[in-house]
Amino acid sequence: MGHACLLMQDANLGYAPAGGAKGLGNCSYNNSVGSSVMEGEGDDRRNVDRDRERGADMADEDAAAFNRLYHDYRTRLHQYALSLVRDREAAEDAVHDAFMGWARQLAAGRAPRQPAPYLYAAVRNRCIDRLRRRPELALDDAPAELLVAPAGDEERIDLRHALNGMLLALPQEQREVVVLRTWHDLEFAAIASLQAVPVNTAIARYHYAIAKLNKELDNHA
Amino acid sequence: MPDERVEQLLRGYRPPQAPAAMDARVLARATRLFAWARVRSEAADLARDAADVFGFGYVNYLVDVVTATDAEYSVELV
Repeated sequence: MGHACLLMQDANLGYAPAGGAKGLGNCSYNNSVGSSVMEGEGDDRRNVDRDRERGADMADEDAAAFNRLYHDYRTRLHQYALSLVRDREAAEDAVHDAFMGWARQLAAGRAPRQPAPYLYAAVRNRCIDRLRRRPELALDDAPAELLVAPAGDEERIDLRHALNGMLLALPQEQREVVVLRTWHDLEFAAIASLQAVPVNTAIARYHYAIAKLNKELDNHA
Repeated sequence: MPDERVEQLLRGYRPPQAPAAMDARVLARATRLFAWARVRSEAADLARDAADVFGFGYVNYLVDVVTATDAEYSVELV
């Protein structure tokens, strides 16, 4: 899947670049060797100590980068997973597993350059796996809430329950496009890449879904 | 109702908050994972130092040669 072509607004997360820990480790090794030749053994010892401190700092930075990433993406990814599986527990498991996969890569110094495409694809793959193992819940058994109405907005508060039901009733691939486009600000190219379909298909799915919601809202009114 | 109105209506809603139980689960597990990674890294450093002290520095060199990966560079056109 072409993760690199996901076009989205990405938070500036300051995570280690690909090959980060291993690459930096090699650099520091080479630096300390070079400096020991030029500056003598005392300096070499100081460099080794400094490298060790740097290693510990990197571990702390990884944990901090992970926390930032988690807080930036948890809400959106949870909603995305809910929209795919319509089951709260399964959605939590999918998000948990996706972040743990990211943490393992980060700890091993192999974190992909772009965390967002990785996380979206990981959540999606886990949800699709889950749906293959256990079919989607029937609509009446689906307790998922995809929307929260802003406080004080009476029109939206009144419509929230009905609209949530309409969204959940959409076919999975159309629901996914609507969620990603509306609340995650993803470009159609990025959505198409996630769904592994041509961009026009993603656009068509979106318009079918909006038209369907429009019709349902008219019926509801 | 025009389709744009439906889009505007949808955009007025927010995604639901992630459950606190999931936050606790993910962050606790990640903390353990990073702590373990740190312990492993420190143990590896100690092993390297010990190998240097006891005259097996060439083992460190061989390990570095085998495990080294080329740094990745890329140019992104803006």
